[in-house]
Amino acid sequence: MTELLWGAWQGWGFGQSSFNVVMGLIKGLLVCVFLAVNALFLVYMERKVSGYIQGRLGPMRVGPKGLLQTAADALKLVTKEDIIPSGADVAVFILAPLVFFAAATAIWVVIPFGPQDIVQDLNIGLIYISAVTGLSVLAILMAGWSSNNKWSLLGAMRSAAQLVSYEIPLVLSLVAIGMMAGSLRLGDIVAAQQSGVTSWFVFPQILGFIVFFTAGLAEINRAPFDLPEAESELVAGYNTEYSGFRWAVFFLAEYANLVAFSALAATFFFGGPTGPFLPPFVWFLIKTYFFIFVAMWIRWTLPRIRVDHLMNLGWYVLIPLALINLGWTGLYVVLWG
Amino acid sequence: MDATRIAFIVLAAVAVVSAFRVVTAPKIMHAALWLGFTFMLVAGVFVTLGAEFLAAAQVLVYVGAVTTIILFGIMLSQAAEVRSRDPLQRERLEGAAFWRRGVLPVLATVAFVAIMVTVYMRVPWPAPPGGVIDTVRLIGSALFTTYVIPFELAAVLLLIALVGAIVLAVRDDNKEEQGS
Repeated sequence: MTELLWGAWQGWGFGQSSFNVVMGLIKGLLVCVFLAVNALFLVYMERKVSGYIQGRLGPMRVGPKGLLQTAADALKLVTKEDIIPSGADVAVFILAPLVFFAAATAIWVVIPFGPQDIVQDLNIGLIYISAVTGLSVLAILMAGWSSNNKWSLLGAMRSAAQLVSYEIPLVLSLVAIGMMAGSLRLGDIVAAQQSGVTSWFVFPQILGFIVFFTAGLAEINRAPFDLPEAESELVAGYNTEYSGFRWAVFFLAEYANLVAFSALAATFFFGGPTGPFLPPFVWFLIKTYFFIFVAMWIRWTLPRIRVDHLMNLGWYVLIPLALINLGWTGLYVVLWG
Repeated sequence: MDATRIAFIVLAAVAVVSAFRVVTAPKIMHAALWLGFTFMLVAGVFVTLGAEFLAAAQVLVYVGAVTTIILFGIMLSQAAEVRSRDPLQRERLEGAAFWRRGVLPVLATVAFVAIMVTVYMRVPWPAPPGGVIDTVRLIGSALFTTYVIPFELAAVLLLIALVGAIVLAVRDDNKEEQGS
């Protein structure tokens, strides 16, 4: 595919570097379309899943089985009046959702859709992921501060404390994955788990998986760790003052983060886009959607945990667990690696 | 001129402007955000020079941690604590703002850019490396062989700083009860 396009590009008399730029733009656009389509579907899925968990039907009115409900909601959001609070710091207020969205999409550069289908298989993949996820804290602090509203500020502060605390166990669990694969490249991590279910990292890394999944849920602000936007205490947290399209950008980015987190869980612990019979992309979708479903299941089953319990869980449980896992991984790699 | 060099020049130029804004921004919050932006641009400069690992570490440490902690600190401190109550002193400070935010940063920036451009013009642009070099492996093995002692010393230094920070920050609950 790439070779075909490269041939055509040369035929028009352009060089290598301009080709790289154009290909980068095309790939970026494809990822954005993928995320937008997924977010539209996920909103519907979340409402249906929550509905069935609570013994309801979920949206049923717009379209067959309520399928067009999200499209209608999206249209409503886009056509809403653009409100910027009078006390807000306008430039930062406008920039915050964009930074948040950029951080959410940047992760997708290294996520493997197939064994070879990666936007750019960076040799620093794991470090890149931990670097990029840290950017969303900045965006949340920007949003919370610039809104000039006490709920937003409190939500942003909580969020920063939470994200900074949970980034440590998350990165420690990624380090263990890097040790198992002997590489930071996501393509190599997938390749190391290619020979069937027994080679999946989840078995030697079961502790790492638990730490990754828990810390990851906290990192993407999903319930039971959704304290930054706890409706019953903080109105809506850092995005209280956002409405219409700007709010939709936050919403879209949160779902993009959910998909990225699920895709990473599948890639690191469950062999990623590999499997028998079906094409890799289908396996990618199956595994990713399984973890998305689990995240939704957890959200609609568990109550939100208290803020001091949240900090204790991060510092007293997850970080020691991640360190034990790191020691175990070292032993495993030396003995059987 | 290839795309990498154009990217380098654009990133470097915007980084200089952004660093200038760190010093001249009237709101301290804006200054901190400009600082974060500058760190991002410097990471971009590292990428154009083929040092991806350094770029990722830069974003991870400086943008993800340092800038966030600075913003956190700003949000936790009240503006009134920072501002001087004495009207005479405040007037004097505002009078100096023209120098602090106008003339001095411009002079410093011009001098810095002049030095950097001279250095940049003297050395040849690094040629694209032949073949694929696994920089991560190189850095890893260098850290644990040639530079193992500095590496371990830096680790111990960070640990001491960490313990020191905790000792300074932890409030002695017993003392506080006696005081009140």
